[in-house]
Amino acid sequence: MIIPLTAYLIVGAVLFAIGIYAVLAQRSAVMILMGIEVLLNAIGLNLIAFWRFVRPDDYSAQIFTILIVTIGAVEMAVGLAIMLLLYRNRQTVQVDAYEELHG
Amino acid sequence: MILGPVAQIVAFSLCALIAIAGALGMATTMSMFRSGIFLMASFIGVAGLFILLSADLLGLLQVMMYIGGMLVMILFMVLFSHDPGGAMMAGMQLPIIEKFFSLGLLPREQKQDEHDQNEQSGHGGNGHQPMEQNGQDDHAGHADHGDQDAEQNGHDEHAGQNGHGGHEDHEHMDMSMTTPIKKPAAVLAVLVGVILVGLLLLRPAWPIVAATPNPNSAEMVGHLLMGKYMLAFEGAGLLILIGIFGAVFLARAGHFPDERGREARVAVDAQPTAPEAPALQPVADADPPDAAELVGVTEIQTRRNLEKDGRGEQ
Repeated sequence: MIIPLTAYLIVGAVLFAIGIYAVLAQRSAVMILMGIEVLLNAIGLNLIAFWRFVRPDDYSAQIFTILIVTIGAVEMAVGLAIMLLLYRNRQTVQVDAYEELHG
Repeated sequence: MILGPVAQIVAFSLCALIAIAGALGMATTMSMFRSGIFLMASFIGVAGLFILLSADLLGLLQVMMYIGGMLVMILFMVLFSHDPGGAMMAGMQLPIIEKFFSLGLLPREQKQDEHDQNEQSGHGGNGHQPMEQNGQDDHAGHADHGDQDAEQNGHDEHAGQNGHGGHEDHEHMDMSMTTPIKKPAAVLAVLVGVILVGLLLLRPAWPIVAATPNPNSAEMVGHLLMGKYMLAFEGAGLLILIGIFGAVFLARAGHFPDERGREARVAVDAQPTAPEAPALQPVADADPPDAAELVGVTEIQTRRNLEKDGRGEQ
């Protein structure tokens, strides 16, 4: 317990910021999915850090992290399927090639 | 697992550095394949932090799920998304990364990032040198794919440029991996990071308990999953099932437009009604159509037929 809780939380915050940048600034849908994974990772890291330091006897945080990983996997699979579909229709997965979704 | 204080500090800083530098490299590098590898490094770093936090089951799960499963999917997508024009993999030149440096996005970590990249390309065997000798297409982002892949990309790119015809310069300008809002996004990300870190530093008073968790965490998690969180567990299972169905349904083998139908659809999408109005006008007037109007009408007709083909095949 030499490392304070704040150090882990700062790592999580920095990861979250990088994930926000990746989601907003990347053009390819694959990169956006990668950014979402980084965001989910940051959330999981925060959960586990709080579990370890604040409530080490209650394992609910690990359950939540497992659920986050599961949801991330499902999201990645569905995202891949959508991307395959988009690629077959237009031969590109860059999100700004689909401008007609502007409405 | 009880580590000494020095070992703990060293392990923490190593894992944190790997996680942050990996995520930063993922977000800023211009090569998507390299982004995937950087993302894997970031996952490994976070798994190490999990293990340091004595959540070893989750560290293992992280490695297995993310790296064994999701990263394979990501790399498959990256390999799959070689579009004609090579638009996404291209454009990694040093000035762009220098521009990233000047954006002020964690410049200290950027150096680490560049160091990592140099290391990686050094490991790649045929690194930057063969690519830079090409001169014309300076796609350093292809460096870690080997010569054959790079040739493939170059071929695809030329084919795509031939297909797109006139606006080559525009295409070349459009090849970057980032959207035009890159700069506001970077500002927003730095802002979020600064605010979060500032809040964390200003409010350090969480009720920290000194107790050590049960080392047999897998058993505890299993009991919770089968008891208190049974419903969430089943819901996750249902979600996975629906996700499998959705993915299979979306990506099923169907009939998709071939090249002709796709070009027709893109043309129709680009100008849905503009050529139709002047061509229909003379027909309604019942004038004897001269040759030019006949050409226009037949063009519209063939375009409609092509569009119908495209829709029908889908």
